[in-house]
Amino acid sequence: MIAVELRKLLRSRRTWATILLVDALPTLVGVLLAVTDLGPRPGEGPAFLSAVLTDGTLFPLAALAIVLPLFLPIAVAITAGEAVAGEAAAGTLRYVLVRPVSRLRFLVAKLASVLVFVVLTVLVVAVTAYVLGVLLLGDQSVTTAGTTSVSGSSLSTPELVGRTFLALGYAILCMLGVATIALFLSTCVASPLGAALGTMAVFVGSALLLTLDASDAVRDYLPTRYWLAFVDLFRDPILWRDLQAGVLLQVAYVAVFFAAAWANFATKDVAD
Amino acid sequence: MRPRTVWAMTPRSRWSVVAGVVLAVVAVPLAPRLLPVGDTDVTAAVLLDAVRGSADVGHSGYVETRGAVQLPVGDDLGDVGELLAGTTRLRVWWQDEDAWRVDRLLVAGEKDLVHDGPVTVAYDYEDAKAVVTEDPAIRLPRASDLLPPVLGRAVLEDAADTDVRRLGPRRVAGVDAPGLRYTPPAGRSTVDHVDVWVEPGSGLPLRVEVWDAGADDPAGPDVVSTFDDVEVARPADDRVGFPASRGVEVERADTLDVADAAGRYAPFVLPRRLAGFARRTEGEVAAATFGSGVSRFLAVPLRSREADPLRRQLRAAPGVVTGDYRTVARSGVLTVLLTGADRDPGAAWLVAGTLSPDTLEDVARALLVLPYVDQR
Repeated sequence: MIAVELRKLLRSRRTWATILLVDALPTLVGVLLAVTDLGPRPGEGPAFLSAVLTDGTLFPLAALAIVLPLFLPIAVAITAGEAVAGEAAAGTLRYVLVRPVSRLRFLVAKLASVLVFVVLTVLVVAVTAYVLGVLLLGDQSVTTAGTTSVSGSSLSTPELVGRTFLALGYAILCMLGVATIALFLSTCVASPLGAALGTMAVFVGSALLLTLDASDAVRDYLPTRYWLAFVDLFRDPILWRDLQAGVLLQVAYVAVFFAAAWANFATKDVAD
Repeated sequence: MRPRTVWAMTPRSRWSVVAGVVLAVVAVPLAPRLLPVGDTDVTAAVLLDAVRGSADVGHSGYVETRGAVQLPVGDDLGDVGELLAGTTRLRVWWQDEDAWRVDRLLVAGEKDLVHDGPVTVAYDYEDAKAVVTEDPAIRLPRASDLLPPVLGRAVLEDAADTDVRRLGPRRVAGVDAPGLRYTPPAGRSTVDHVDVWVEPGSGLPLRVEVWDAGADDPAGPDVVSTFDDVEVARPADDRVGFPASRGVEVERADTLDVADAAGRYAPFVLPRRLAGFARRTEGEVAAATFGSGVSRFLAVPLRSREADPLRRQLRAAPGVVTGDYRTVARSGVLTVLLTGADRDPGAAWLVAGTLSPDTLEDVARALLVLPYVDQR
């Protein structure tokens, strides 16, 4: 079942078009930075972007910070929102369910397929940004002496690579949280667009609430609360506090919304 | 062969599983908060003594401060406005008063202070720059002043045993911390009371709340500084140093901030007492702090190019009072007064502190009659 879903995902032109669109923004930013040599002012712009003019190896992280707040979750919401509602809208859901496969396995396969989409997207963005960063950005004499951590100390290349992969893994987990919310909504509505828009409403609402002092009591439970905590991996020593909270929060969202998706889908009377 | 019983899940049982998952997810973070907090029979006076003796207690941890002091002050006053008005996240490694490091955590960077004897390094990640300065006689408040131990010792500086009483314990950063309430004698301070919760073994303040009104004020405290993680042990030497990467530009500066520059070079010498408050800053200086405990203020002469924009910003503050010779604004425990008017050629005095507007006006009147000193 998972293999079938993965083949569908990888053969879909829409999958690759979405990945290219997500990758386009950081690529454009990288080219513009290289051409103009104008970085954002301190305190403005995404994390690490002000540093990439000195150290191009940080550009994968800057690219992650560019796509993580909006582009990547939108792509994930559209892909995961399609999972069940897309089949229903196309009228294929009841034929899929005729196969001797439990609805739980069907949902697991759909989630696994979205997870592969997230991993592919994050890797394409990171690899493109690394190539761009090394070729066009940064000062090699500084880079070869070690990357500067956020706390001012030096990070060796193995440390930088290890922490970058941890950051990518963390971002993937955060997107898995988005995917399960979209998957749940996809079991509730017949329109994939409705599921995707509903998911976007959740994380846009969460991002808005995070800016309000009045929402202090609930902020630690909002889904986007710890998305940018991957920056803490590049402090010296690593600040694990928000990362741990972020992992637990995303695991909680995945558990609750996947359980809700299963309960709703298993109960659903499928007519489409 | 006995027939196998197949248990089919009903919609209700499926949603019960979901409810169980939700309950488990909610219970995990809430469960520790339900455990009772242990108390000790330590007296308020003993706790007060312990706090005063905690300056060299080694510790490290994570601190959050929240301020409700909303005053529009610009970049010339450093990070003062940001520190007092919002949430600040800090990491601290403290060996003793001479050797410590405080990292102010920003979403996309850090602003760090590394203190070693008479020297402080101020590092900013996004500027990729570290500035080294000798500790000046006078400076503006900075992030390290808001750490619970530093703030706690400062506000309890002149508390008498009769002014403090025990509060119930509170779990702070996992520590069952006995509490202390200091209510200063009614006077000229804007501080109504201060609540401090203390690590019982070391006397280290773990949480400090500064209130400008009674404890039943729905607005809550004006300033809160609290550890969320703490380890009471001397941190290693490499944690309180600054091993700068080659990518960091390190420069030495003669002056730290506008208060330091004014204190050294402005054409005034401040008296040893001003409006009844003793000067804390030593030497012949033009800028200084006065007073003690919760009744203290800073007096700094500013040039018109610094004073004029600040005056315009202060005028935007709610409840601001402007007059012939001064602009006064108060937010919570902090009062700020700036003398003079726009485009005055002479110096304007900035007076800011935890004193009532009337008291700062007395101070301003005394400052305005200070003579110019030609040779400094």
